Amino acid sequence: MPSRRGFLAGLLASGLTPRLSWADAGHPTHLSAAMDPNGAYALYGLRADGARAFRIPLPGRGHAAAAHPTYPEAVAFARRPGRFALVLDCVSGAVRHRLDAPAGRHFYGHGAYAQDGTRLYTTENQIDTGQGRIGIWARDEGFERIGEIASGGIGPHEVLRLPGTDTLAVANGGIHTHPDTGREKLNLDTMRPNLTLMASDGSILDHVALNPALHQNSLRHIAARADGTVACAFQWQGDPFDAPPLLALYRPGQGLRLATPDEITRRAMNAYAGSVGFLATGEVAITSPRGGTLQVFDAQGQFITQYRQPDICGVAETPSGGLASDGTGRIYRLGRRSLTELASHRLAFDNHLIAI
Amino acid sequence: MIRPCLISIALLATPVSADVTEAVEAHVLPGYATLVEATARLSETLESTCSGPEVTQAYHTAYDAWLGISHIQFGPIEARGLTLSFAFWPDPKNQTDKALRKLAAAEDPVVNDSDAYAAVSVAAQGFLALERLLYAPPVEGDYACQLTRAIAKRAALNAADLSADWNAGFVEELRSPNAQNASIRSDDEAKRALYTSLATALQFLYDQRLGRPLGSFEKPRPKRAEARRSERSQRNIELSLRALRDLSARLADAPTPRTDRAFDVAFSRLEGIDDPALAGVVDPGKRFKIEALRQDIRIIQQTVAAEIGAELGVGTGFNSLDGD
Repeated sequence: MPSRRGFLAGLLASGLTPRLSWADAGHPTHLSAAMDPNGAYALYGLRADGARAFRIPLPGRGHAAAAHPTYPEAVAFARRPGRFALVLDCVSGAVRHRLDAPAGRHFYGHGAYAQDGTRLYTTENQIDTGQGRIGIWARDEGFERIGEIASGGIGPHEVLRLPGTDTLAVANGGIHTHPDTGREKLNLDTMRPNLTLMASDGSILDHVALNPALHQNSLRHIAARADGTVACAFQWQGDPFDAPPLLALYRPGQGLRLATPDEITRRAMNAYAGSVGFLATGEVAITSPRGGTLQVFDAQGQFITQYRQPDICGVAETPSGGLASDGTGRIYRLGRRSLTELASHRLAFDNHLIAI
Repeated sequence: MIRPCLISIALLATPVSADVTEAVEAHVLPGYATLVEATARLSETLESTCSGPEVTQAYHTAYDAWLGISHIQFGPIEARGLTLSFAFWPDPKNQTDKALRKLAAAEDPVVNDSDAYAAVSVAAQGFLALERLLYAPPVEGDYACQLTRAIAKRAALNAADLSADWNAGFVEELRSPNAQNASIRSDDEAKRALYTSLATALQFLYDQRLGRPLGSFEKPRPKRAEARRSERSQRNIELSLRALRDLSARLADAPTPRTDRAFDVAFSRLEGIDDPALAGVVDPGKRFKIEALRQDIRIIQQTVAAEIGAELGVGTGFNSLDGD
């Protein structure tokens, strides 16, 4: 007897397309790229209990993904500096489209859908100038590239849409790289990262940066809440034993506020935050795979607690709290004061968990 | 002290591997016991005099003892928030100097209260703060003497607390892990925690103890050598390596010929280096030996990962090495 997934995939192929939802992809709540034990790469759908909902092979190592707001469709991005992204049908596993970075551009590994799901935004490097770009792709036109806007800085790493709006938040990491020299950093002395908030037409709504003394704190990853708060996670490019704060909270009209825990707590992060996510209860978590640490702060940026787990990195919101993942295949439920293992897969989960 | 623990192991439903037990009983517990003894002696010595050969000898013995256990950064030391309290280094912002000057400028009476001293900046605690006061005092006089006493006393109390914690509870936790237990949930995790200590300490040797003073060939950084004022930079490397060789031998289930050989190479290299503060990083003739030692440590890291890490199923740092 054909499985429901197989049956639906058949329907899809025959053109009798019902309105599919994420439930048809096995009820995933989150996405993560991963490496299988044999070294193959794939995008995984994960359920609320940490179990696997689906697996779709990828041609190379992934980084992050973007989930369509309603349709069971994901865009998987290659690891930086990637030249392509794949639009995946999460029910059939088919690659529906391949997005190639235009000539002179490469992707940074993150992207976001518009609220109605008709547009996809991608972070890109304009290679000859190093200026950041946000590429705009039209889903209803077969993911044709229909334009681009300035990202507001150099090295835009993550873009996300503020919940319930079409406002985009862009983490401009500030680091100029060139694909010819891989990930070599070309401007550490002059880098100036920022967070840029923009309307979907590219008009700038706000543009904030840390104190110049912290200009080597590269903003890479962000998370947002419905009230417009954006949590910013940094990667310090100076001496790791300077142990700078790595989390700041942005509130509209109030700029960035650093969360500065004590020296021991700061050093536990090894000057590197790999991911950031809110909990449904309002707290925010940052992870450091290098420090093997996940730290939880309250909504005002006061440090609450930390957990030690080797290679922990992915963290994202769930309806009741948060979820975290690590490079040894574990999925954890994250509460305000608890980190509980939910599942252990024979996989290495890549940097990010993406909430659907 | 040890016997009742052994009995409880025998009662366990799930077997605890011999290597975890051995690593704890023959490596961790004696390491802390030595630290307790040496820091107590240092504190006693300082009570009677504030300087002189007896003090420096007791300082070196206590610092040596710390090198025997400094790589254990989990368990009670983490739970008590003491991971930086014995050795605040590297210190690129010169925080030790600033913290000591600040205390001295205010003649802060906190030096008279060991409990309260636990709450002062970690930069003003431990062996590097003591070293400043003994070898290059940023402050002098009676207050400086009181500071050295307070630091040594606090180190002795901290060492006693950690040793007591390990013996009272944590040693059981590590040897009889169970799913209800918050910090160590399985035998595998106990082993992984010990392995992580080993791997992290090797990386610290490579990146910090050797990497910082070496800098680059064009720009060597001799002033960044660890504990250079008391000329312990090379000694710290050697003692740390000795402790790590001991841990790796106890942690491995099977013979580890490649790891043993890699450690031997590093130790014979050290015999050919006589550069207590690693000042030779600026001299091309001496520098190449220090660079070669650093390369020896890289090889140890690789053999440890292959012979011990792989067997424990410890990943290679899928995310931590990706860096994005």
